[in-house]
Order: sequence, then structure tokens, then C-alpha cells
Amino acid sequence: MGENNTILKIMNLSKHFGALKAVDEVSFEVKKGEIIGLIGPNGAGKTTLTNLATGAYPKTDGKVIFKDLDISNLKPYQIARMGLTRTFQVVKPLIGMTVEENVLVGSLYGRDKRNTDMKNASKRAKEIIKLVGLESKKDFLVSDITLPDLKKMEFARVLAMEPEVVFLDEVMAGLNPTEVTEASTLVKKIRLEKDLTIVYIEHIMKAVMGISDRIVVLHHGRKIVEGTPQEVVNNPAVVEAYLGKRYAKGIKEANNEE
Amino acid sequence: MGLQMLMNATLLGGLYALMGIGFSLQWGISGIINLSYGAMVMLGSYISLEFFNFFHIDPFISMIMSGAILFVIGAIIYRGLLQPFLKGGIVFTLILTFAVRLIVENIILKVWSADYRTIRLVYAGSNFQLGDVYIPLTKFLTFITAGILIYLTYLFMMNTKIGKGIQAVALDKEGAQAVGMDVEKMYMINFALGTALAGLTGSLWASIYSFSPHLLGPLVGKVFIIAILGGLGNIWGAAAGGLLLGFAETAGAGFLGSQWQEAIGMVIMVSVLLWRPYGLMGKKFFG
Amino acid sequence: MSNNKKVNIFLLIIAVVLFIFLPRFLSGYMVRVITTIFMYAVIAQGMNIMSGYMGYLPFGNAMFFGIGAYVTAIGMSKGLPFLVVVPLAAITAILFSILLGLPVLRLRGHYFAIATIGMSAAILSVVQNATEITGGAMGTTLPIIDKDPSIVYNYFYLAMFGLMVITTLSLYFIIKSRFGFGIRSIKANEEAANSMGINTTYHKVVAWAISAFFTSIAGALYAYWMSFIAPDEVFDVMIAVNTIVIMLIGGAGSILGPIIGAFIIELFAEVAWSAFLEYHLAALGIIIIIIVFFVPKGVTGTIADFIKRKKIRARKKVSI
Repeated sequence: MGENNTILKIMNLSKHFGALKAVDEVSFEVKKGEIIGLIGPNGAGKTTLTNLATGAYPKTDGKVIFKDLDISNLKPYQIARMGLTRTFQVVKPLIGMTVEENVLVGSLYGRDKRNTDMKNASKRAKEIIKLVGLESKKDFLVSDITLPDLKKMEFARVLAMEPEVVFLDEVMAGLNPTEVTEASTLVKKIRLEKDLTIVYIEHIMKAVMGISDRIVVLHHGRKIVEGTPQEVVNNPAVVEAYLGKRYAKGIKEANNEE
Repeated sequence: MGLQMLMNATLLGGLYALMGIGFSLQWGISGIINLSYGAMVMLGSYISLEFFNFFHIDPFISMIMSGAILFVIGAIIYRGLLQPFLKGGIVFTLILTFAVRLIVENIILKVWSADYRTIRLVYAGSNFQLGDVYIPLTKFLTFITAGILIYLTYLFMMNTKIGKGIQAVALDKEGAQAVGMDVEKMYMINFALGTALAGLTGSLWASIYSFSPHLLGPLVGKVFIIAILGGLGNIWGAAAGGLLLGFAETAGAGFLGSQWQEAIGMVIMVSVLLWRPYGLMGKKFFG
Repeated sequence: MSNNKKVNIFLLIIAVVLFIFLPRFLSGYMVRVITTIFMYAVIAQGMNIMSGYMGYLPFGNAMFFGIGAYVTAIGMSKGLPFLVVVPLAAITAILFSILLGLPVLRLRGHYFAIATIGMSAAILSVVQNATEITGGAMGTTLPIIDKDPSIVYNYFYLAMFGLMVITTLSLYFIIKSRFGFGIRSIKANEEAANSMGINTTYHKVVAWAISAFFTSIAGALYAYWMSFIAPDEVFDVMIAVNTIVIMLIGGAGSILGPIIGAFIIELFAEVAWSAFLEYHLAALGIIIIIIVFFVPKGVTGTIADFIKRKKIRARKKVSI
């Protein structure tokens, strides 16, 4: 890894759909162990960026460097096995399988080659399920559990892969305020335990600001600001165009509470 | 390729174009691979046969009855049999349409036997000349009629409320639902339109060629090729695909011998699937 | 091992022993009928791994049956013994599945199914026309076994039975394995599978190769058994249709489903043939519709649902 501990480098990444520039020359770096908040209004390009970084979409231009390796042309499964993973904005459970089986698949195809035999993978899957608190539901079919549990399961599935970097794509979408707090706490706890680097894509300002070390703001596919939550909140362009004065005030209050 | 061969290919291609459009619409828009399509075409032929034998009505006129009857049959099949299984993946609708084919095939066998039938039109033998090229009258009339029907289909899609509804549903199902459109009704009418086109094709077919249940399978093979060549759901694409197939078959029969016809067609289809799965025209609806 | 599992294994062993000794009590005709059932069960298992477990329907899978049959016929006509030709047939089928599979398996479900139909039709056409090699549309013969007919059909009964048992056991272990989870994930959600580190192309190609392997050996056995094969018989699209129906009625995505389905369908065919001779096509069509509407999960699926519902009811009672 580079001297400054950078684990992921997004370099001039672009994705054009015909004339539409969904992602337009975005660059930023992520250090190991950080939580980077990736915010921006709908259509800003956050999910597209995630798809580009994880190999799900081919790039129009730019590079993605992960652990000093150029992964720009690798397939999604190769990137996942290297330790760069993501969850989905609209959950994608493995339908027809149980919660435990879903997490087991993540464990079987995860990074640690030593433990991808059934016995070890099953053990690891059970541990992860306990860690996220889904043990009582582990034998339920995914079609029979609630949305918050589905999100937990997808998170567990990703954790079972023993990743180094996780793109959490709007995990909070569809959750009520209690569930949001619960999820935030869970993410923080696991990040510390598993030494994860997280790119946290979110809408809900309170969740992002409270958890991120740094924030990257996208708008119309371009990066408009990068900095600490304080810097971003105080940046006039961001405040006016996106956060709005009310949010800025709310964040200041939340920060005063801590 | 001589001029006569070119003319033969074109005349055949016109009929194929009409045939392919129905199947392509069903697959591309209603999402159903209709393995009973060949049976529907043949039903059209047999309906015209009966109208001819009993009432001495020319197939170019009785085709209206074929079209109407097959439209209703298509609507019933879609609503009664297929609609419940649209979400179940391909297995169910594929095997259900095959079941329909088996039933229709059995009916045809019982009523008309496996023998080849023909409609002996008074003017069947006449043809006219354009330079050195002979143009059989029935084939010519069929070509013109097919062309008119294709154009009418296009007009229907572009200018009527239902036609535009079908287009809307094809392009954006959720959007169409959001503005209150009865999406299922659109799919059903589209499917029924497809079988109607099959029936019309059958009547036209009967004016030129003999027909029997043996054609059921090969016809489906042909419409697969046409639909894939032209891109699913694309009217003018299917028309072009039909012409292309007409050319390929005529040239193939002329140069290689008719046994290789089906193989050529299939090889073309698989090649197009691999190289340009959205059809030679690319991903567009309606052309 | 749980007691439940022990009981199941015990029952299966009893069933196997019963089947081995069954021919002593049956007429030659029945032995041949049951041999055909075993054969269809094998082909249906080939469909099952692709469609039932992985969600990719290879409508043209009969092409491997035909390839198995024809490689056997051609090989034996050159003087090669049966036990040498069978591996050759299987290898040929596997090669075809890989060569054709690599480009075609990246197509979406609909297109894949149609492409396999196209391939099967194209191969049929080639076999029909390459008369010098294959004997053409009229068919070709294989060496007749110079033994008493009852010995012959008993041998093939056991051979097909053995093939069915091996195929089913193999499928069982494959599905339980890590590879099996990969296959099932593809059906469950292919995009998610890719994002989890599953090389879906590899899984799809290998699954089809496995499918081709077993289907082709069934074809090889069939050819030697019949001593005569014709192209439109061994490449018949009805083979695919029948095995799909067998798979559905037995229960797609279950290990024993195809076997149960093969017995049920053959039973129906025997009964219906005499009853419905002139209407057998329509009867099959109606049966298909009935199965799809009323028993879409097949026998095993419906039983599994029933057991699950009983468990849920039991759980509810306990929690009160």
C-alpha cells in the first residue's frame, strides 16, 4: 500500500450514456480504515460510481486503483474476491434461499481462500449472522423477512466475504428513524471490529455526517466538494444547492450534542 | 442470382415479413415465445380452406375471417392461459404455448388429416411478365396484400390510442401504469394482434402453397429467425428479416439444395444471436 | 447423521435393491418400459441441473443425446468396442457444450433457450445430410449383441439403472457442494451472484458440460440398445418437451423429482396410449396445462410445501 495508506484511488472516472454524463471525471482517494461519505442528490451519480468501481459497468474513461492494483478492467467477481465489495440500493437477496444460505454464499466465495470449504464457511457464516443479530431468523426464507432484516442480511453477506472495502449503497433507504439509528450503530461497531474501510452512500444527512471521517459531494456526475463533515457543511455551494440551511443547522445541533 | 430468382425471393420474403411480425410482437412486447405460432398460421390456412370449399369465397377475402377468428383465439389464450405465468420465467410460458400447439395440431389432424391440402383457385396458374421475369398472380397479390397489412399494422401502432398504448407499455411499463393505463389489456391486444397476423398469413399462404400439419414446426423455426434478425418487437425490422429469410432460402435452395435450408436458417439465427442479439437493426421498437 | 437422514438412506438402499431384482418378476415388455423411464430420468436430470437449479433452460439439450447416440454408432461402425466409444461420446458432447456454451451462455434466458433450439436443429440438419459419415436421414445401425434377447434387455435395464443412480448421486453431491451454491445463486439473482465473487460464466459452462455428459451417455446406451438410430428420432424436439414436463411434474430443483416425474409420465403415457390413441397429442397438451396450473412445483415441491406448512402450524402451537 502507498505510504499514505491509500487503499482505493478513483482517478478521473467517467461514465457517459450517450450524451448523458452520469459520472464526469470524478477523482478521490480513500485511506484504509476511513469511512468516506458519498453524498449528492438523486441522479448525482453515486450508484453509477459504485457500479464503475466494482466493475458492474464498463468505464468510459478513468481508472480505479485498489491496493495499488489497476482494477479498471476486471470483472465484478474478480474485484469482489480481491476485497472490494458493495451492497445494493434495492436489495438483491438470493431468492429461494434462507438467510443463512445467503450469508453462506458470501462466505463460500469470499476472499479467504483457505476457508472456502463448506465446514469453515458455514462456521464463519454463523458467526457473522450472530454478529449482525439475525440469528433468530437464520432459517427463514428471504421472501419471508422484513426490509430492515433484508438489509442486515445483505450487510452480513458482504461481511462474510471478509472484504477490505465496502460500498454501502443507501442502506438506510426505506428504514424508519429507529431502524436508521440501529443500523448506524451496527455499522460503526462492525467497522471497528472488522477493520473495514467504508464508502457510505447516503441521503439521510444525520446518518452520514455523524459517521463519516470525510465527505465527497457529487452533483450532476461531478465532484463539487471534498472535505470533513464540518468543512462540507460550511461550504456555501453545498449548503445552498443541496443541504439547505435547515440541514446545516440540524447538523450543527447534532454535533453539539456529541 | 438471376432476376427471376430475385423476384421469387422478394415475393416469398413479403409473406415471411407478415408472418414474422406477429411472432416478433408477441415475443418482443408481450414477452412470450409462442411455440404455437406455426399452428396459428396453419389454422388461418384451414379456415380459408373451409370458406373456399363451402362458400366458394376467395382466400383474399376470407382472410378477414381468419384474422378475426385468430384474434379472438389469441386473446383467449393470452388471458386464460399465459397471463398468470408471465412472472414465472420462461419455462412455463414456453411449455404452455407448446401445449397449445399440441392441442391445435391434434385438432387439425382429426379434422383435416395429415394430408397436404390446397385451395385450387381459378387464377392460380396465371402469371404476368415483366421483361424476362414471370410473376405468378397469386404470389403477386399475396405480396401486395402482405405489404398493405404490414403498413396497416404500422399505422395502427402509430396512430390509434391502443396502438400508442402498446408502444408505451413496451417502452416503459411502470410509466404506463403510472398514468393509469391498463397494461395487461395492452399486452393481451398485442398478443391477439400477433395471432391475427398469423391467421392472415395462413390465408395468404393457402392461396399459393399447399399446407399440412407437417409445416407446424418448420414455420416456428422460420419466425424465430425473422424475429431475431429484425430485433424483437420491431415491425420494420421483422419485415426486413422476413425479406432476408426469403432471400436466404431462395438462394440456398437454388445453390445448395433444399435440404440445407433449415440448417442455413438456424446457423444464421445463432450467429445473429451471438453477434448482435438485439437484431441487425439494433435495439429499437417499431423501427 | 440425524435419524431422519439414516431412515432416508435406508429406504433408498431398499429401493435400489428392489429395482435391481425387479426384472425377474416382470415381462420383457415391462423391463424395456422401465429402462426407458430410467433413460428419461437421466435426460431430465440434465435439464434439472440447468433449468431447475440454475435457471437456464436448454430447450435443445436433446442435441447431446443425439451426439452421444451418433458418436457411438459411428465409432462402433469403425470397429471400436462399446466401452471405448462411450467415453468418446461423452467427451464429444462436453466439447460441444463448452464450444457452444461459452458464447451462448452469456445471453439472457430467452435467447439462450432459443439458441439451443437453433443449434439442435442445425446439428440435426448436418447429421441428416452428411450421409457418408452418419448414414443420413435414413438412419444407421449398430452391431447387434449376439446373445439371448432376455439377457440383452436385462443388461440394458441394469446399465440404464446404474446410469440413473450415478447421475442422481452426482447431482446430489454437486448441489450440496460449494459449486452447487454457486449454481443456485445464479438462478436466485445473477447480478448479486457476480457481486459476491461467483464466476458465473465458469459455473454456467461447467453446469452445461455436466448436463451434456450424462445426457450423451444416455444417448450412447440408447443407440447400442436399439441397434438402430435415425436423426429425427435422437434429435427430436419432443425429447426436450417430454423431459421438461417430466422435470416439472416431478419437481424442478429437486434431486428425486426427475425420477418421480419420469415414472408418472410413463405411467400416463401407457394408460393414455390405449385410451387416447388418436388424441394423444391433445392429451399431452392438456396434461401440460394441468401440471402448470395445479402442480407447478411438481410432486416433490408440493410435498415440501405441505411439510413446511405443517411445521409452521406446529411452531405456532408451541409458542402459545
